[in-house]
Amino acid sequence: MKWFKRIIIAILIITFLFVVYKGLSVLPGNIIKQRYEITVVIKSMEPSMEFWQVLVDGVEVAAKEFDVNVTVTGPPNESEIDEQIRIVDEAIKARPDAIVMAATDYNRLVPAALAAKKKGILLITIDSGINSEVADSFIATDNFEAGRKAGKAMADNLEVSAKVAIISFVQGTATQIDRESGVLASLEEAGITVMGTYYSDGVEGKAYQITRELSEKHDDLRGIVGLNETSTVGAGKAIRDLGLAGQIQLIGFDSSINEVKLLEEGVMQATVVQKPFNMGYLGIKTAVEALRKERIPDIIDTGSVIITKDNMYMDENQKLLFPFVEK
Amino acid sequence: MKLFRFNSIQSNIAAAFAFLIVLTAIVISISSYQLSSIAARRTAQEYTTELIKQLNLNIQTYITNMENISMLVMNNRNVREYLTSLNGMNTEEISDFLQSISVSRKDISSIALFGEEGYWVSDRKDVQLNPNITVKMMPWYQDAADADGEIVISSSQVQPIFQEYPWVVSLSREIRGPGGEQTLGILLVDMNFSVLNDIFDQIDLGKRGYVFIVDNNGNIVYHPQQQLIYSKLKEERINEVLEDQSGSFITDEGGQSRMYSIQDTGFGWKIVGVSYLDELVSNKRDMQISFLALGMISLILALGVSFFLSRKLTRPINQLQEHMKEVEKGNFDIQVPVDSTREIGRLARTFNIMVLRIKELMSQVVKEQEFKRKSEISVLQAQINPHFLYNTLDSIVWMAEAKKSEEVVLMTSALARLFRSSISKGRELVSIQTEVEHITNYLTIQQMRYRDKLEFQIDVDPEILQCLTLKILLQPLVENAIYHGIKNKSGIGIITIRGHQDQDEVIFHVIDNGVGMDETTIVRILSNQASSESRGMGVANVHERIQLYFGNAFGLRYESELDVGTSVIIRIPKIGPEIMDRWRAKE
Repeated sequence: MKWFKRIIIAILIITFLFVVYKGLSVLPGNIIKQRYEITVVIKSMEPSMEFWQVLVDGVEVAAKEFDVNVTVTGPPNESEIDEQIRIVDEAIKARPDAIVMAATDYNRLVPAALAAKKKGILLITIDSGINSEVADSFIATDNFEAGRKAGKAMADNLEVSAKVAIISFVQGTATQIDRESGVLASLEEAGITVMGTYYSDGVEGKAYQITRELSEKHDDLRGIVGLNETSTVGAGKAIRDLGLAGQIQLIGFDSSINEVKLLEEGVMQATVVQKPFNMGYLGIKTAVEALRKERIPDIIDTGSVIITKDNMYMDENQKLLFPFVEK
Repeated sequence: MKLFRFNSIQSNIAAAFAFLIVLTAIVISISSYQLSSIAARRTAQEYTTELIKQLNLNIQTYITNMENISMLVMNNRNVREYLTSLNGMNTEEISDFLQSISVSRKDISSIALFGEEGYWVSDRKDVQLNPNITVKMMPWYQDAADADGEIVISSSQVQPIFQEYPWVVSLSREIRGPGGEQTLGILLVDMNFSVLNDIFDQIDLGKRGYVFIVDNNGNIVYHPQQQLIYSKLKEERINEVLEDQSGSFITDEGGQSRMYSIQDTGFGWKIVGVSYLDELVSNKRDMQISFLALGMISLILALGVSFFLSRKLTRPINQLQEHMKEVEKGNFDIQVPVDSTREIGRLARTFNIMVLRIKELMSQVVKEQEFKRKSEISVLQAQINPHFLYNTLDSIVWMAEAKKSEEVVLMTSALARLFRSSISKGRELVSIQTEVEHITNYLTIQQMRYRDKLEFQIDVDPEILQCLTLKILLQPLVENAIYHGIKNKSGIGIITIRGHQDQDEVIFHVIDNGVGMDETTIVRILSNQASSESRGMGVANVHERIQLYFGNAFGLRYESELDVGTSVIIRIPKIGPEIMDRWRAKE
């Protein structure tokens, strides 16, 4: 009967261990383990900034799917860098599991990012990165590639000898530099001359002014690439007012009602749009994956799409061009 | 820690009980958990299906409302007149009419009529038609024109015709002339998509569940993750939705399995509710915990009950064991209380009887030991009988005085041999030869004392000489024969000693031709009654010694006849010389 006893002992022990194991695996799941806390710091909380609103939509969809608690915060306006630094510092104090941040400044957010990492908080940068390797992942549009697309669209509409100007926004921002070099690279490939890069400082009126002056000075100006929404719209309005639609090709970036109108009117030939929804979604998804100790890539390109008058009403482009934001 | 030593009945019983109870509890827990989770899942599935049905109904009602509105517009006389007469004059009136319909409804983005000839009217007077688009090229226009007067419902889309770009679902319909042949124009009702969006948002399909809509071509009308799908970051099972006939299916994705509940709206949309199975059973965790708690409780209960039961079962055994220990220590004056448990009670009773019996045997042994001691002393007395000694010495003295030196030598040497042969180094058993020598010496001495009155004859089978017998067995009998039989007889007394074997036994006969004895004397001699007389006691002592050593089957038997003589038959077992050897070896 010895074997019988042993079997009983074994079964009792196994049962006990099973019950203890089950207990340990189920109970902490319910009582101890909480949902991940992720703080998303965007550049602008302004409701009219559709790019950020759509990005937050993506964040919320991901938050629901991955069952995490997300707090979205940020300065009212993109230019309030100090306010964003303060907000990030504040967020670090709350000790979230991860911070997903779109930096308003390439350099000045670095100390805040370092502070977050020091506290063991996972850091993901989205849209705009920082001048440091400290972030666990960077999720953004590949702006160089976006610039190449814009340049190629321009080149497709022009003859080789044509001259083109670039209207950029703020000199020295990473986004601007990448887009400009992308445009330059593809135009150079096509053999198109670039007259120069002009800076609108993100002001529509200034872009308008620059365009007027350029077209008056240079009869042979055949194309303008606007590197952001305000630069593009300013240039587009100038072209429309000068009656040069079709004569001067316009390729822009981003989307707005004004740009849509320019597209429809034929003043603007194409615009390169980013995918803020995907950016927000991937920001949270990547953070969750990293928190679950999965491997994540250092850089994720969310991609960009070139939209023309012909494809603007296609199902997949409508959402990019006309963000559906619940008011 | 006695409980956990598995060689005790208690722990065995406890383990068996615990095992059985835990096993049962586990089986019941698991099966009832399975059953209730299946039931919960089924309920949740039904609930989801019902929810989607309800949603479908809401949307259908909504669309029906819109159709009714379109009918209202279509059948309006003014409208028809406006379209047929090609008269743009009453545009204002029509616009007012359209406005009266849309003003009360926030969900209507715009209502507009487009005539074949390019004129148009909408419910809003302040809007301009987008100069950059051709209305007739719009998909809702073309679809309506192709639809033979049926209602066409678009996917969710941006409506660019008034340069406001709202997200709408367009309902468009061709308006025909009285004969049904002539196309008068197209009616467009744009419904704010946010209204539909709100309806979908209200549906709660768990944390991660969602609702989406596809049209019959597989195009997504609405999907909360539309952009992810377009960017290929996510896939939706649109083909399976389109192919599905049953109204619902479940994907096989392990923990991420989803249930799709599909409802056809009847106007080209399929409404699909997607819910995650692990969320459907929302209280799965609670169920797991409660069943786990049940398991824990039953485990504790099992251990408690089994401990209690096994204790109750083994208590009488332990009690019995305690008493046995007492007995082991030597205390025989105890009685185990007979417990109510039948088996243990029986055991206790048997044990009690056994203890009693042991007690009896012990007292018997004590008695026997006492008797042995006594009999040893009497043997010694028989051996060194002072009467015999001084009588013999007297005889020697007389003989010496009478200068019968030869006889003195004979008698003295016989006496010496007698004593020598009786030295048995304390052994109870001696060889028959020794015993025969002893009795020979004894009789020699007696013969010399009772010179003309005694003769003897010894006839022992030489084969048994090496066998063993009790020592000083014959002397008391011979002594008795001389003193009671021959001494009182006139004439010569003859004592005959015979020894032979009879199968396993050795039989001695001590026969005299003395006065003989009556029955009572025989009885008296054999029983211990003659204790006062040392001689009589000698005979009884021999009898008892034989019985003590060899058992009651052996002993003495007297046959006597008055004036003829007495014969004593002595029966002892035949004990071979090898036993002697063994004893010697032992010493």
